Amino acid sequence: MIDLKHISKWFTISGKPNFILKDINLTIREGEFVSILGPSGSGKSTLLNVIGMLDDASEGEYYFLDQPVHSLKEKQRSQLYKQYIGFVFQAYHLIDELTVYENIETPLIYQNVKSSERQAMVADILDRFQIVGKKDLFPTQLSGGQQQLVGIARALIAKPKLLLADEPTGNLNSKQGEEIMELFRQLNKEDKVTIIQVTHSEKNAEYGTHIINLLDGRIENS
Amino acid sequence: MLRGYFKIAFRNLAKHKFISFINLFGLTVGLTCCLLILTYILHELSYDKYNTKADRIYRVSRSFLNGNGEVSLHLGAVAPPFGPLLQHEFPDIQQAVRLLSTGHIPLRYEDKIFSETNTFFAEQNVFDVFDIGLLQGNPKKALADPFSVLLTEEVAKRYFGNADPIDKIIRMNDQFNFKVTGIFKELPENSHWHPKILMSFNTLKDTALVGEKNLTTNFSSNNYFTYLLLPKGYPARNIEARFPAFLDKVMGSPGQKPGTGPSTWTHLYLQKLTDIHLRSHLDSEIEDNGDIKRVYIFSAIALFILLIACINYMNLSTARSALRAREIGIRKVSGARKGELITQFLSESVLTASIAIVMAVILARFALPLLNTFTGQTLSAEVLFTWRIGLPILLTPLVVGTLSGLYPALFMSSFQPVKTLKGLFKADGSSISFRKVLVVAQFSISIILLISTAIVFGQLRYMQQKSLGFDKEQILTMNYADQLDPAYKAFRTELMQNSYIKNMARSSRIPTGRLLDNQGASSEAGDSMRPVNADIKYLAVDYDFVPTYGISIAAGRNFSRDFASDTAGFVLNETAVTAIGWKNPREAIGKTMKYGDTKGNIIGVIKDFHFESMHQKIVPLIMVLPPASWTGNSFGDLSIKITGNNLPAALAHIEKTWKRFLPGIPYRASFLDERFDGLYRSEQRQGSLFTVFSGIAILIACLGLFGLSAFAIIQRTKEIGIRKVLGASVTGIIGLLSKDFLLLVGIAALIAFPVAGYAMHSWLQDFAYRVQLSWWIFLAAGFIAAAVALLTIGLQAFKAATANPVSALRSE
Repeated sequence: MIDLKHISKWFTISGKPNFILKDINLTIREGEFVSILGPSGSGKSTLLNVIGMLDDASEGEYYFLDQPVHSLKEKQRSQLYKQYIGFVFQAYHLIDELTVYENIETPLIYQNVKSSERQAMVADILDRFQIVGKKDLFPTQLSGGQQQLVGIARALIAKPKLLLADEPTGNLNSKQGEEIMELFRQLNKEDKVTIIQVTHSEKNAEYGTHIINLLDGRIENS
Repeated sequence: MLRGYFKIAFRNLAKHKFISFINLFGLTVGLTCCLLILTYILHELSYDKYNTKADRIYRVSRSFLNGNGEVSLHLGAVAPPFGPLLQHEFPDIQQAVRLLSTGHIPLRYEDKIFSETNTFFAEQNVFDVFDIGLLQGNPKKALADPFSVLLTEEVAKRYFGNADPIDKIIRMNDQFNFKVTGIFKELPENSHWHPKILMSFNTLKDTALVGEKNLTTNFSSNNYFTYLLLPKGYPARNIEARFPAFLDKVMGSPGQKPGTGPSTWTHLYLQKLTDIHLRSHLDSEIEDNGDIKRVYIFSAIALFILLIACINYMNLSTARSALRAREIGIRKVSGARKGELITQFLSESVLTASIAIVMAVILARFALPLLNTFTGQTLSAEVLFTWRIGLPILLTPLVVGTLSGLYPALFMSSFQPVKTLKGLFKADGSSISFRKVLVVAQFSISIILLISTAIVFGQLRYMQQKSLGFDKEQILTMNYADQLDPAYKAFRTELMQNSYIKNMARSSRIPTGRLLDNQGASSEAGDSMRPVNADIKYLAVDYDFVPTYGISIAAGRNFSRDFASDTAGFVLNETAVTAIGWKNPREAIGKTMKYGDTKGNIIGVIKDFHFESMHQKIVPLIMVLPPASWTGNSFGDLSIKITGNNLPAALAHIEKTWKRFLPGIPYRASFLDERFDGLYRSEQRQGSLFTVFSGIAILIACLGLFGLSAFAIIQRTKEIGIRKVLGASVTGIIGLLSKDFLLLVGIAALIAFPVAGYAMHSWLQDFAYRVQLSWWIFLAAGFIAAAVALLTIGLQAFKAATANPVSALRSE
């Protein structure tokens, strides 16, 4: 599903390249649950952003479902991305001005899903995550765990093949964190969603089927 | 999707109340000003268009050239023979109609006497040219017979109450009886003339008035407003091009040499009826016209204010974009394309503009009566609610919204989601410098308006305070009545007995009027008489005019009753002396001169004085005592100089005496200084409006600056905290925060100075006597702008500087 070949990313500071990612080679097959583990500054978020097409690599090739992402035009890339990828963030990143319902609905709007279908899909996921009662609340009225639940619901609403999670439990207490991790495992097993998560907690990394250790922009072992 | 956009736009408006207020307030006020000014402009542009044949009606005007071939006089009225002659010579002309204004005229019905203005002698085909509705009477016959008269309903009511006005007899000037033959509908306000009484033109054929001979042969009485009706789509130029030949034919003497005919010193022109109100400023007009320049000036002001409001929106939206960066990032991650985000932000600005236009329409409706009382106009907001104007107004939010929202939309939609979501987002340099450009634009406009306001008022004050060359205070003026001629001596003696009355004089015209009468002059040069190249205007006066007005003598003496020969004497002003070519006033004394048909000696030279408004240069002037042969038409006005010690007593005595000597003529008097004020009334109004609108512009600009500096300070909270911890003083921090903005005001001033200087220089060209553009006005305007900006920013800077630095640092 994902094939990274010699991916590097650097910034030039006073003439010298400063590597964030260096010569990353990585293959992830459909159905895997990969945890990227590493200390802060190791480049794990950047790697996730490159995979998620939010960021470009400075060098190297990236194939997603056999399509050469590195040479796709912005429009094609966004099409690919919209169709297959969902994102979950550490800081939830819900839109404060929108209700829970509207937050979850947003990706569907951008994919031009019809209003009646949207209603059905959102109702479905609200039900599944058991947050029907919260649908008219605004994000600030929810606890952190509930907000992340909404964030995940939003990431999954368009039925992506790949879920990318950047420190999804970083802002949560351990009980809430465990619940989210259980949910991920369930999604991976029952719904066959491919998941890549970034974390610096060994415990959370254990939920994955694979662990990739990242240090100073390089993969240590896999 | 659009519904979703509007929903979030509304929630954003509600959440950021302060910014929303600045944006909405600015746009609302800006649009209100635009609507008000639009109403005014539409009104100005609508003049005379109510006539169904408006596009085919032309007015004939006539110019006179001086010896150098320059136009010295251009009149909106022509001599009476031209109308019929034109129609005779140019068969294409369908109608030619002549109007003659009577000026103030006393009319009497039984015991009711009124002094009427807006009274015209009109030919009977006036109904075929203009749209004048007859409520009673037959348009074919109503003005056919001599001594028939038409009234408006209002006039009829004044004279006859509710009685049927038809066939009633009105007496004019205690001399002629007119029979009412109809009632006509008053012409709309947007007409360049407003007759209240129309008298039949055929009346003038009576020798007691003008006489048939005069009407057909007198080419020098240019008081007849003459309108032509041309066929549809007929190019007026075709006729105009043949005017010189026409003039030579009808006015020339038989056997004149080619190139010497009347067309060498006089021209005729055609003016479009619909151009009269805004583009015609001739030396005689029926009423004071508007001015296309004023329309341009106020359009510019309206656009300026709207622009300032739009800039506020742009600035505040981009400044606020940091707060929305996260939302933008999330939307992008959720799959939003750039175009969709642009649509979202544009729909927000369009929504804001839509709310603003709704409020502006309501506000304009309420503000219009206020503006009317302020300007003396009678504008109606109804015009805004016609589909022709209303529909475009409904579309303005789209335009204004796009104009003000496009830059923020483009700017914000290009944010990189990775950066915005990481909280690393900082507005980049280009957006900040663009914001600075916008602030500079706002302040340039504000400073231009400030300077303009100051100079407009400076010029107004200058015109009102400049020494006129005589004392205009305590002079009471009234129309002279010819019936007084035989009894004038007794009238004068009676009035002068009152100790509150200092002096009184008669003259053909009085200051504040125009000097338009002019005859050929020649002056003594060696043994022969040499024609004077310049026009010398004449003023018929009596012995007392110069002392009554307190005009100073430069050389020689005033007319005196002690010298019988003075009836053939002349008094010149200094400009006339120079124009004739004498070196100084003393040289002129005793010289022989011929003016018109009168030959005489120059007995005195008076110092130049301002007869006309400051728009006009002081012209060469000759004063004559009217010869006895002129009786009946010499004097137009009476001026009475009073002491001012006991005004009511003096006025009462004058009125009582007037009524005893002239029972048939209503007493109407006004003070000369008030007439002078009246000369500049339209400028005064323009100045007041200028002040109001530039005040609004500056207010909106400052609100924007207030919002913008608030953001700038929030962004620098941490810096301020650190500086304070390191020991910076409050004033130091205020200075730090204000410095950037003051620099912008400085740049704005540098841009504004030349623009304002150029604009005001051209504006002042309309005045023959004008203030200097002094540098301190410019500096003062710059300082005011800087002070206002400093106050706006300083308030917030002070708050930031006095805040506890610990809380500022903790928040990071």
